[in-house]
Amino acid sequence: MGAWRWLRRRWDVLFRKRGVEAELDEEIRTHLDEEIRQNVQAGMSPAEARRRALVAFGGVERHKEEVRNVRGVRVLDDLVQDVRVSFRSFLKAPAFLVAVLLTLGLGIGANVAMFGILDASLFRPLPYPRADRLVMGRVTWNGRVGRTVSGPDFFDYRQQSSSFEDLAAYTPFVLRATVTGGGAPERVRYIYASTRFFRALGVEPVLGRGFAPDEGELGGPRVLILSYGFWQRRFGGDRDILGRSVTIAGIPFTVVGVMPRDFRFAVDVDIWVPLQRGGAWAQARQFHNFILVGRLADGVSVKQAQADVDRISESLAETYPETNRNKGLNLTPLKEALAQPYKATLGVLVAAVAVLLLIACGNVAGLLLARGSARRSELAVRSVMGAGRSRLARQLLTENVLLALGAGVVGIALATWLQRGILAFVSMDRLTPVKAGVSLPMLGFALALSVLTVVIFGALPSLRVARVEPGADLQSGTRTTGGRAATRARNVLVTGQVALTVVLLVVSGLLLRTLRELRGVDLGFDPDHLLTAAVQIPSTKYPTSASRVEFFRELQERVAALPGVEGVGFITRLPVRGSGGNVRVDLPEHFGTAGVFGKMADQRTVMPGYFHAMGIPLVAGRDVSLVDDSAATPVVVISKALAESLFPGEDALGRTVGVDVGEAEPARFEVVGVVGDVVMDHPANGPYPAMYFPYPQAAGTGLDIAVRYSGNAGAATTSVRGVLRTLNTDVPLDEPATMHDVLGRSLSGQQAIAVVVSLFGVVALLLAAIGMYGVLAFQVSRRTHEIGIRMALGASGGAVVSSVVRGGLILVALGLAVGIPASLFAARLVGGLLFGVGATDPVTYVGVALFLGAVATVACMLPAYRAARTDPVVAFRTE
Amino acid sequence: MARTDLLQGSLDLLVLKTLDLEPLHGWAISKRIQLLSHDVLEVNQGSLYPALYRLRDRGLIESEYAESEEGRRVKVYSLTKKGRAALKREQASWRLFAGAVEAILAAG
Repeated sequence: MGAWRWLRRRWDVLFRKRGVEAELDEEIRTHLDEEIRQNVQAGMSPAEARRRALVAFGGVERHKEEVRNVRGVRVLDDLVQDVRVSFRSFLKAPAFLVAVLLTLGLGIGANVAMFGILDASLFRPLPYPRADRLVMGRVTWNGRVGRTVSGPDFFDYRQQSSSFEDLAAYTPFVLRATVTGGGAPERVRYIYASTRFFRALGVEPVLGRGFAPDEGELGGPRVLILSYGFWQRRFGGDRDILGRSVTIAGIPFTVVGVMPRDFRFAVDVDIWVPLQRGGAWAQARQFHNFILVGRLADGVSVKQAQADVDRISESLAETYPETNRNKGLNLTPLKEALAQPYKATLGVLVAAVAVLLLIACGNVAGLLLARGSARRSELAVRSVMGAGRSRLARQLLTENVLLALGAGVVGIALATWLQRGILAFVSMDRLTPVKAGVSLPMLGFALALSVLTVVIFGALPSLRVARVEPGADLQSGTRTTGGRAATRARNVLVTGQVALTVVLLVVSGLLLRTLRELRGVDLGFDPDHLLTAAVQIPSTKYPTSASRVEFFRELQERVAALPGVEGVGFITRLPVRGSGGNVRVDLPEHFGTAGVFGKMADQRTVMPGYFHAMGIPLVAGRDVSLVDDSAATPVVVISKALAESLFPGEDALGRTVGVDVGEAEPARFEVVGVVGDVVMDHPANGPYPAMYFPYPQAAGTGLDIAVRYSGNAGAATTSVRGVLRTLNTDVPLDEPATMHDVLGRSLSGQQAIAVVVSLFGVVALLLAAIGMYGVLAFQVSRRTHEIGIRMALGASGGAVVSSVVRGGLILVALGLAVGIPASLFAARLVGGLLFGVGATDPVTYVGVALFLGAVATVACMLPAYRAARTDPVVAFRTE
Repeated sequence: MARTDLLQGSLDLLVLKTLDLEPLHGWAISKRIQLLSHDVLEVNQGSLYPALYRLRDRGLIESEYAESEEGRRVKVYSLTKKGRAALKREQASWRLFAGAVEAILAAG
């Protein structure tokens, strides 16, 4: 029965509210009437009787509220009322509403977008079964984690370790080859993977089988596994593909399997080829070409497995001191290892969006304070009518929560768009390819963030505003603007915003300068008007060294004859386009004594004319020549830095160098030329020592081509492609790109973060400028009277302007005073992303201070001019 | 004349007692308490209506509309059976309490 009544009461209150309220109204009216009647009987005038009755009763509103309170439904009841009042008051100030929703929505949206990216890439497990059991194995040198492990070492670890269910290896760099037969020749991307690679990841082919053990031994059957995408693209998803032969680089391979559609590991490839013990890329212990992936055996921890491989590393070092001294294997949980390259970038972005949100909250808090000031009369009236202080605070809180939720909705709407922008710059593809879109966790995060922002932006204003003093607030009439405390609160907000903006601008400034420095690095060659591409010839068609040399000689001659072409060069891997081929080089007599890693250099093979085409200066001696073939004396052209390091203070020409070729004795080459040093892979790494061998001595099937052209890059590409087709229709011109495009791609990471952070910096600056404008405009309106008096007493417009601007610039100075030390701290945190510029780079700091000052001055000018135009007469009349 | 505010919690008891004598409307309840206490107790109007609604929600009193002497529609409260039982209980415990306080005050 009790429950029934309770339900009934709630029902009444919520849905028959009007009726219950009316009942109460009527009762109170009766009460007052009775009181008045008695007072009149006691001899009072009707007016006096009424007044006394009201006084005796106290605030009508208050009693009604207390009754509601007692009935235990007040909270719900109030909420409905507050929401209604809130909507009404928002509609009365649409500009305020739009400003808050956009500002806060942007802040929330940026954070939700970032969260979505982190959630999809970092927070979720990798898309492999029991992915937490997977580890990555990388080489260590003297305990420092490097990258690739040598093939023979991998096979020893796999054989001797008992910690893994499976231990596999793959080449982390994508190789390219041409597929011929059954359609147009096509370049494909492939990697080598050990036979149990897929099993270690826990993924089975969707068609066919994985690699068999004998396919991982030298001389085993030539087989391959196709990616789903390539299978669909080239073979139309033909299920009879198994057992069919596919010709790659002129060699036939048998298809044994097709991987599932969504299978992907670290890089996108078309084909997996089994790594063969002692085969390609795995011939010698000093050739490091593989990264290991292991699935830990049940019950084995990463630590235990690490101890296990450490023991093996020690025994390898004993058995092969020449190659394995100081060498080890590091095991890291796979996800952690894959996420490492993104950590710094993501950290900066997360911090940037968080700062952006804080600044947005600051702005909204400022807006609320200003609005609160304007609403003091309204609130004072309600307070006089008997609304309690906590009741008023709750009303304001309701408004803030509604604003934040609205901003959350705007944020979600913006998030997809922002996410697409961020992903365009910072792809997470090494971990998991992330698609832009709104996910359920993102919605939850947006909601949580909205609630959090209420606490940040809403607490101060609602506390302040709820502290109304009806007397003072009503007396001061329409010109009320809130007290000195409100002004102080807004000043603090603007100072904080400026400080945060300084941090963002300094970091983005440092990143932009890094980018500039990287772009300005002296590459050692001339990147302007340089077309690059790759040319791969089938070994079946060009089986001999002589036929290959002839092909490229012919191509060089024909391309050089094209109008506007100033030089044509061929090299195994063009600088910046490709990297690797790092081997030991030394005086032959030093081998066997100086340890494995005496001196290192990148080795390349070039056709004559390469240095000329690239604009690399010949310092001494001669270029390689076509007569330097396998029958002639082995010769090499070395870079200046290598010459100086091998033969300090001596002439390198005519001297003999030894190069590690994975055998007991080094191969010997006579130095015939010395050329300028060149950036080999990434501009940030600077020039690197290099050796250039003549192509006729070691003629492979693929070379990069560099064409120095004048005029249009597209036209040059078309004509080079045309020439290639006249030589052999089966040889495509692969991945043509200007050197500037190649450089841009290699700097895309740095560019991405610089652009994104700068974008955030600019938004922050805008918000801070708006905040400052708001504060000053508000101060000017408060000081209209004072300014009027000063102008009446003869102050010039200029004096008024400067006094207002000074007020604003003091805030900027305070913000800088807080922001610069904070920036020094932040800059140290991003130190790893900087190049050629220090964390304390004075140019950046001074630049940011000046830039901010200039923007702030503009923001201050508007209210200042308005102040200067104050008409004293009008100013007095507003009183 | 000395007046005193009602002791917290005693208002419910007084309302129940007043209504035990006869059904009354709100204003009359407050006047009746004042009268019966010889003007010593003055009911704070602000607490009266909340108390009435509370008692009604607990099912101790009930209300119905009746015509006043002037022919107005007024809400008249009366005691329920449950209210009568509650009054007995409250009265007993109040007397116990008041007696105890008096005994202490009388000592020495």
